[in-house]
Amino acid sequence: MAASAKVKKEEKYPPPKRFQIADIQVSREATAVKPEVVSRMVNKAKNPVLVTGKYLLKEPELVNIAVKFYEKGIPIIATGGSSKPLIEKSVKPLSVVFTLHQITQYMLDPDWKGFNGQPYDVVVYLGFTPYYLSRMLSAMKHFSKVTTIAIDEFFHPHAKFSFTNLTKDKELYYEMLSKVVEGLEERK
Amino acid sequence: MVFELKEGIFVLDDLKNVSIKIGKVIEEEEEWTEPVGPTPMPGILELRNWDRKLMERYEPFYAPMADYCNLCTMGPCDLSMNKTGACGIDLKTAKARLVTIACCIGAAAHTAHARHLLNHIIEEYGEDLPIDLGSNINVEAPSIRLICGIKPKTLGDLRAALDWAESEIVKVLHSTHIGNEEDYIDYESKAMHVSMADHVGMEVADIAQMVAYNLPKAEPDTPLVDTGFGIVDRTKPVIVVVGHNVMYARPVADYLEEKGLIDDFEIAGLCCTAHDMTRYNAKAKIFGPIYYQLRVIRAGLPDIVISDEQCIRADLLSACKAMGIPLIATSDAACRGLPNRNDDPVDEIVKDILSGKTPGVFLDDGEKLAEVAVKVAQEIFKRKQKKELFLTDEELKEEVKKCTQCMNCVFTCPHNLRIDQGMKAGQEGDFSKLAALEEVCIACGKCEQACPKDIRIINVIMKTGYQSLVSKTGKTRVGRGPIQDTEIRNVGQPIVFGQIPGVIAAVGCVNYPDVMQDLRDILEEFLKRRFIVVTSGCHAMDIGMLKDEEGQTLYEKYPGNFDAGCLVNTGSCVSNAHIAGAVIKIANIFAMRPLRGNYEEIADYTLNRVGAVGFSWGPYSHKAASIATGFNRLGVPVVVGPHGTKYRRAYIGKPWKTENWWVYDVKSRQKVNIEPAPDTLIAAVETKEEAIVQLARLCIRPNDTTQGRQIKLTHYLELSQKYLGALPDDWYLYVRSEADLPLKMKDTLLKTLEEDHGWKIDWDKKKIVEGPIRQFDAGFNPTIVEAIYDKYTKK
Repeated sequence: MAASAKVKKEEKYPPPKRFQIADIQVSREATAVKPEVVSRMVNKAKNPVLVTGKYLLKEPELVNIAVKFYEKGIPIIATGGSSKPLIEKSVKPLSVVFTLHQITQYMLDPDWKGFNGQPYDVVVYLGFTPYYLSRMLSAMKHFSKVTTIAIDEFFHPHAKFSFTNLTKDKELYYEMLSKVVEGLEERK
Repeated sequence: MVFELKEGIFVLDDLKNVSIKIGKVIEEEEEWTEPVGPTPMPGILELRNWDRKLMERYEPFYAPMADYCNLCTMGPCDLSMNKTGACGIDLKTAKARLVTIACCIGAAAHTAHARHLLNHIIEEYGEDLPIDLGSNINVEAPSIRLICGIKPKTLGDLRAALDWAESEIVKVLHSTHIGNEEDYIDYESKAMHVSMADHVGMEVADIAQMVAYNLPKAEPDTPLVDTGFGIVDRTKPVIVVVGHNVMYARPVADYLEEKGLIDDFEIAGLCCTAHDMTRYNAKAKIFGPIYYQLRVIRAGLPDIVISDEQCIRADLLSACKAMGIPLIATSDAACRGLPNRNDDPVDEIVKDILSGKTPGVFLDDGEKLAEVAVKVAQEIFKRKQKKELFLTDEELKEEVKKCTQCMNCVFTCPHNLRIDQGMKAGQEGDFSKLAALEEVCIACGKCEQACPKDIRIINVIMKTGYQSLVSKTGKTRVGRGPIQDTEIRNVGQPIVFGQIPGVIAAVGCVNYPDVMQDLRDILEEFLKRRFIVVTSGCHAMDIGMLKDEEGQTLYEKYPGNFDAGCLVNTGSCVSNAHIAGAVIKIANIFAMRPLRGNYEEIADYTLNRVGAVGFSWGPYSHKAASIATGFNRLGVPVVVGPHGTKYRRAYIGKPWKTENWWVYDVKSRQKVNIEPAPDTLIAAVETKEEAIVQLARLCIRPNDTTQGRQIKLTHYLELSQKYLGALPDDWYLYVRSEADLPLKMKDTLLKTLEEDHGWKIDWDKKKIVEGPIRQFDAGFNPTIVEAIYDKYTKK
């Protein structure tokens, strides 16, 4: 399993258990990644973007993480109403009104130039209802070449890269998110 | 040999050995002078161009649940990354096929229901029973007129519509066999076709039962009936009817009335049979939708359960058996392995049930099942010992103690509910976390299947959350059926011009993403803003459970008229036909567009002019898939809750593709670029905040007058600021002139248009000089169909 290549048993991370045990695929599953790897991929990306969802309305910790992404120069597409707490912290999202469903449809189109004139090559997802995000990641997996990284507390098999399953250990999850933002280089 | 008999007297005395067969007697169509449109009883091909037009703009989006196909013996095939399988089908087309199959199932459910009901009713009342829906309704069957080109006058006339629907469902199902379509757009066209047939099936079913069973006919002020878990008087025997076809349960109410026992029993329903029972007899009550099935049964509330068809748990019999509740299955769609006892005497059946010889029976003889049900319920009620619902306190502790927090339940639960945390807190004596799960648990029972310790998790949740469960008890306004023609006359113009900002149709199942209260919050936002809110099915009964601080449900706060700021419950699933019917009647009654076999024109009219949006906050069933897809073909966009992504397909336009957003303007005789309104035909939202903003947004139509657009933009912008914290990104796309701008924000918005979007503003006159996609024109007359453009320009 590709997961073992990045997150080894002896490390403190829990196994990459699917958020929904019946969501079984025959094609590739996500590579479970450590926070440092996420930072590196975002740093190397030409035009990365952070997409945020529902759980920013419920977990202030996630808002703080998204704000830090923004402060490092990663733009944010806010969906599901997650724009509100972000705007309250002076973030100016690239968009506030489009749903993740719409955003995904746009991203699947190789002709789409994004909200800032350049197609996104690395998309990081934060704070989503797992089954909703899972379907969108499935669409991205099968019909696009964009690199998708899920940094939610659930392991997302359809992402290209995903955090492992951290549902049992929220503290570890927040710690990992902090490490991601710590590792981000400031973008111009 | 065919003899054509002209008017006259015919003497047949001398004919010997000749048999004369008279087929259908076609009566003179004295008053329907409307010419037959281009597509009466269309086949798969007739509306294909319309569908392809929609698909050009609203491109299908696929989110596969599985990346393999195992529908034939060549498989399983790996279709990931859009590979093709052994039969040559690729992933996108395979998903489109799956959606088509789902829509076929949904359409078949309503249509088979309609056929069964219609045959039964014709047998009882005769085929000549007139279709009389009261003096306020002349357009009695808008979908049937529109799609089939028929104006049904009697029950017998409905057969032709049903014949057509059945034939189309079979044809579309045929196309899903191996080796047929290779184009996903063609599958989408078929999904739309079969879903349109679904709307006919629904209309037949509801008209037939309204006429025969004298259900309310477009009355806005129908009675309010008790709704929720805590509705029944437990000092009486309780008969529970479950399912979606009232024809089986109806005789029970008749029998009780006839015997003078109606007040000595409780009849309460689960799912749409509940709606239709209350339409038939307002003494019946509504327990709730499908996710109340295990709540009610495991509480041991019923003394007998009568099941019919659709959206009933497939483990109903075992759930009843575990509680000692006998079950009578009545529909051949769901016999549940029970013996058919139609030919046996009542007393023998009753004896076998009460002795435990059989846990239930199959009976579809209405009179017999009524007598059996009443007698069994009486006896079971007498035997029933009083005990605590769900679990005793001791049992609760024992169950909770067994949990090891393995979390198998969490990763099986559709909502990943933290049952483990609730159990852990419960082990420490704090049951509040478990109790809180009642609000969000849909009682599907998957967690119990995953639990290695066999904990009765649903019982634990319901026991600890009992106060929350029992407090959800309120009132539902009985389903009224259709919308009056007179109501359409009153609101048609304000809807089309935009002064009534929109019609929100909350339809569908209960697979909510969060608490049920969200549904009420969403709908009340629109009721307060004087949108028209229409509802049916599960959504209609769930909002009947939720009271505000004054103890009122939405039905008690808002009148049942089809008018601004009103809340209309049309009834059960099949009553969704009346929501489509209202949309169709706006085009027909207000705009005088002909209906007869004229689908494309009416759908085109709706797409460009009628600000109606479907909303399914908890989509679940195949029926919901076909209902939504049928609305999409009719030009009505639909917003679904996040579980709706699991339908695997959406229709989502791309606003930046300006070449996709155009219409022909009949007035100027030009092809005109337009704003992307509506920009989506079906997509999922994640939160109630997002749902509210999307619903307001999707009410915008190209044909809005300036006053209408101003009102719609006011709501859209206000709601976006309220729930998203900012103006929506795309608001400027909908501005055609300064008159479209919300008055309160006009100066600020003009400034934003100038500074952020580079528009030219004449500040002395506060006028937009340059910038919008198009100018507003009072005579704007949009269509996306060449034939309709030709029809009205060549007049």
